[in-house]
Amino acid sequence: MPGDHRRIRGPEESQPPQLYAANEDEPPAARDPTRLRPVYARAGLLSQAKGSAYLEAGGTKVLCAVSGPRQAEGGERGGGPAGAGGEAPAALRGRLLCDFRRAPFSGPRRRAPQGSGEERELGLALQEALEPAVRLGRYPRAQLEVSALLLEDGGSALAAALTAAALALADAGVEMYDLVVGCGLSLAPGPSPTWLLDPTRLEEEHSAAGLTVALMPVLNQVAGLLGSGEGGQTESWTDAVRLGLEGCQRLYPVLQQCLVRAARRRAAVAPS
Amino acid sequence: MFTFPGSISTADGSALVKLGNTTVICGIKAEFAAPPLDAPDRGYVVPNVDLPPLCSSRFRTGPPGEEAQVTSQFIADVLENSQIIKKEDLCISPGKLAWVLYCDLICLDYDGNILDACTFALLAALKNVQLPEVTINEETALAEVNSKKKSYLNVRKNPVATSFAVFDDTLLIVDPTGEEEHLSTGTLTIVMDEEGKLCCLHKPGGSGLTGSKLQDCMSRAVSRHKEVNKLLDEVIQSMKHK
Repeated sequence: MPGDHRRIRGPEESQPPQLYAANEDEPPAARDPTRLRPVYARAGLLSQAKGSAYLEAGGTKVLCAVSGPRQAEGGERGGGPAGAGGEAPAALRGRLLCDFRRAPFSGPRRRAPQGSGEERELGLALQEALEPAVRLGRYPRAQLEVSALLLEDGGSALAAALTAAALALADAGVEMYDLVVGCGLSLAPGPSPTWLLDPTRLEEEHSAAGLTVALMPVLNQVAGLLGSGEGGQTESWTDAVRLGLEGCQRLYPVLQQCLVRAARRRAAVAPS
Repeated sequence: MFTFPGSISTADGSALVKLGNTTVICGIKAEFAAPPLDAPDRGYVVPNVDLPPLCSSRFRTGPPGEEAQVTSQFIADVLENSQIIKKEDLCISPGKLAWVLYCDLICLDYDGNILDACTFALLAALKNVQLPEVTINEETALAEVNSKKKSYLNVRKNPVATSFAVFDDTLLIVDPTGEEEHLSTGTLTIVMDEEGKLCCLHKPGGSGLTGSKLQDCMSRAVSRHKEVNKLLDEVIQSMKHK
């Protein structure tokens, strides 16, 4: 960046070699639309963060860390009637600050290290999806910081980040009503458009529309929904949401196992 | 110490290094650019160290802080002084086209000794980089990239950094953890290459050090270089056999 004196300067502009490569753009192969890629999840791997989780699904690798609760910035806010269960009044509830960032080497084209508008939008989507699950009333005047880092984008990045963030919050011991599980979908164009569950990056690039669903599996409530594109009729979108919710339910046992293992590891390390 | 090269498939070269708890990942992306006007037969290597809030609670979101800038500059100095790769090797067509290697180092877990981990991650990632073959078409004067044929970079030197924490001018600890760094009165980093030549010495203020102590540090750095180099060779060999 020309004006950025905080980073080492490179050339003014550069182009990726893919622009000059012989065009080998093959459309993605057909596959079972309800297949979920095998997921590897591990919680409690960073030593400096209060809670952390790493999720790998196919080519998508995302790492999430939670820190806090710490004193919220911003002035005192007024009181009000206390909520049920010993929670703070609504104006004094804790806050969740979510930060989503992509590593510069995570996609086919290098991204500049400073954030773009898309990352801010995804950070906000993360916050909106995680808030219903976290008991923020138990952390008055405090803020919890969740940072998600996408190391490699292999498709359904936001869904993976949501799941990793929920695991990290659980690992940090933050009080939650339920885990949040995310699932991505994309609409394959063509004569008979079908919604594909857990798309790869190639399928996402060739898609006509995309959707990310966040579900709280035990409560069976949708925590977040973000979609865009030309999806056709409303029925098409409802089918997609239903498919996404099924995918989330199927993913839940893996995450339970991951948290149990992390708890066992922590118990083994802690002095008795 | 653990190294895992080639973990990120979207990057042209990558490596994850774990030094105790400190974890650094380096990803290298190669792009085309016009060579600099004052050196038309050279390419660019642009390092960038990122210390995100996820690695430690002392860092905030936003533009790189002081520590990140100092570490970026240190890595740039090591690249320049040790001549790991010759910038002339990155030139495709003098005056017209050259490679730019964007080396992005992200710290995932900060527990002290970030300089050693970053240098090692950069070295491992550079050894892992595969660049496609590029030819300039004479008629159209455009580059043609053949992604099927890839070749490794010519890494000429292997610089290895060794950091010490100084306590009260007398006690020296190698490879300090975060807690030790916090309590120390000064730090020292020595970068050596395989011929026992000194590439870089980084001592940002802090308490003084006698000449003899400095010599001890240098000899320790030489022996550490051998250990680290052996580990890196083993890992690269095992990767190639896959």
